[in-house]
Amino acid sequence: MTEFASLAQLTVVAMVPFLLASLGTMLGGLAGVFSVSQEGVMLLGASVGFLVSYGTGSSVLGILLAAGIGGVFGFALGWATTVLRLDQFVVGLALFFAATGLAGLLYRIVIGQSATTPRVDTLPRLEIPLLSDIPLLGRALFAQNLLVYLAALLAVGLWFYLYRTRSGLDLRSVGENPKAADSLGIPVARTRLWTTTAGGALMGVAGAFLPLVFTATYTDTIIGGRGWLAIALTFFGGWRPQFIVAGALFFAAMDVVALRAEVSGIDVPSQVLLVVPYVATLLVMIFAFRWAKVPQFLGRNYDRESRTA
Amino acid sequence: MSAPVLTEEPGAPATASPGIGTRLLRGVLPYVLALVLAFVVSGIVIVALGYDVVGAYRTILTTSFRTGFGFTETLTKWVPLTLLALGFTIPLAVNRFNIGGEGQLLVGATAAAGVGIVHADLPAAVLLPLVIVAGVLSGALWAGIAAFLMGRFRVNEILSTVLLNFVSFQVLDYVATEVWSDPAAGVAATQRVGAGALLPDVGGPPGVHAGILLAVLVTLVTIVVTRRTAAGFELRAAGTNPRAAGINGIRVEKVAVLALITGGALGGLAGALEVSGVHGRALEGMQSNFLLIGIIVGLIARGSALWVPVVAFGIAILEVGASSMQRTVGVPAEMVLIIEALILIFLLLSDVIAGRLARRAA
Repeated sequence: MTEFASLAQLTVVAMVPFLLASLGTMLGGLAGVFSVSQEGVMLLGASVGFLVSYGTGSSVLGILLAAGIGGVFGFALGWATTVLRLDQFVVGLALFFAATGLAGLLYRIVIGQSATTPRVDTLPRLEIPLLSDIPLLGRALFAQNLLVYLAALLAVGLWFYLYRTRSGLDLRSVGENPKAADSLGIPVARTRLWTTTAGGALMGVAGAFLPLVFTATYTDTIIGGRGWLAIALTFFGGWRPQFIVAGALFFAAMDVVALRAEVSGIDVPSQVLLVVPYVATLLVMIFAFRWAKVPQFLGRNYDRESRTA
Repeated sequence: MSAPVLTEEPGAPATASPGIGTRLLRGVLPYVLALVLAFVVSGIVIVALGYDVVGAYRTILTTSFRTGFGFTETLTKWVPLTLLALGFTIPLAVNRFNIGGEGQLLVGATAAAGVGIVHADLPAAVLLPLVIVAGVLSGALWAGIAAFLMGRFRVNEILSTVLLNFVSFQVLDYVATEVWSDPAAGVAATQRVGAGALLPDVGGPPGVHAGILLAVLVTLVTIVVTRRTAAGFELRAAGTNPRAAGINGIRVEKVAVLALITGGALGGLAGALEVSGVHGRALEGMQSNFLLIGIIVGLIARGSALWVPVVAFGIAILEVGASSMQRTVGVPAEMVLIIEALILIFLLLSDVIAGRLARRAA
């Protein structure tokens, strides 16, 4: 395998956690709920996904339960901000703390103090015959694990749903102008509830992806800011699935380049390489916040009886 | 995103000032409810895990008071918690979220350690102020990056401050491994600062480093400035009603930028005090989980500078108790982070309930 082909394959794998977490953020955001608990929910997804897979030997079950616990946190965010109309950022931060604590606690309870680091089997690669033999990009696109394919399908499916169906238009109207949506009979609270729940589930899977595909182990620092980067990516992608995919490619490439450059022994301090993804993101956001078309009601709660909103 | 973050329910009656009963109901009841519920729920979890819940709670709550050492440790933790919490709440008053306390602390600590190492021979009267000023300035500068991006390019400050945390880890790592490294330390750590950069202890034995006096002073100044001065009024006005503030000549964006930089300065101060008072050097992991807990403190205090030091003391007790609980009862220390998060979550929930009760009573 050529150097380029292997880099391309790595990049596609590294895209997935960004893509899933960002699509999850986007989904809730398009309905007007801005989550800031990604980093914690992803860590919890990683912990649960790892532990279930470790205990049962089934990574599929691990991923499903990670999605479930992520969904619970997403639902909690939706419920607290629609039914109780609590501040989205404050609730998001509170859930971030709770998820972070829970992730570490679960691992400590199940694994305890262990001399050897427990490991799980990583997801197998599914090679699609013929297509995976295409030179250069064949292996990157068609010799990946199941989640990579699912993430790609999800991005396409979400694009179609949001921009080519009536129901998707309704969803977006809730984030743009909930009052108008409400007057048309679109259930604002219910829309926000299901989008935050589904979004949380995606964040959980994004977290579980890291131990089940990358590292085979769990550490408390495994997410390494990817949850926060996913928020940046969502702005960068203008809250639209097609651009989020493109943005995820950029974020993943930064990740891979930083790692690769370190391994290949380029004469630059490793610390400089390790900050590349974060600094690049900061620079990119200067432009992202100019052009991003953010949902009008993002971060704001809807109160049917309020006169101002 | 312009609605004030931490004010009462908009639907609350605005006529006449509420009676003492209602004020108590809305002021104290949520805190009591939140504390009780958080401990009950966590207690159920601890029991379900098969640990001794009475022992666990006794350890958590009494460790700080059983020994002088425990109390000293609590006060020592109180310093960075209070400073980071204030660093969070000052920008919060203008509805800006400073999630970068960790980075500001680390960069402040790195700069403080740098000054303390390079000028190790200076007498304390010169070096100590230099070290602290270096920490404060670099913390402010670090937050200043995010503030600049926010003021000039409208980059969301939650993201920029958080991303700068991850950069700061590498800044410290670089300085601690390449510039002034101390290979004997075991973790990435700088050399020790000169004797003149170390803060003396007060009280005791065992004593608390004198940085606590500075932290108390800073807290008092923050309380006075935010509640009793024109600058503080502009800060609160820009937060509660940016439009009205703007119309009345307050430059909301400028206030927000300054608030974020001030928050960073406090983070940097926390870093410098950790170097001068606790570790004697900058080292990897010195930020502990101060950022998370600092934010929890700020939110539980509802952004009030008056309540931050009180809440921070309570949380410091829990934190000191947590490590002791892990040693004696075996409950993982992470449990305490969950208790703290639950206190915050239940506080938010009981706000809603108390608000509804008060409205019904009115």
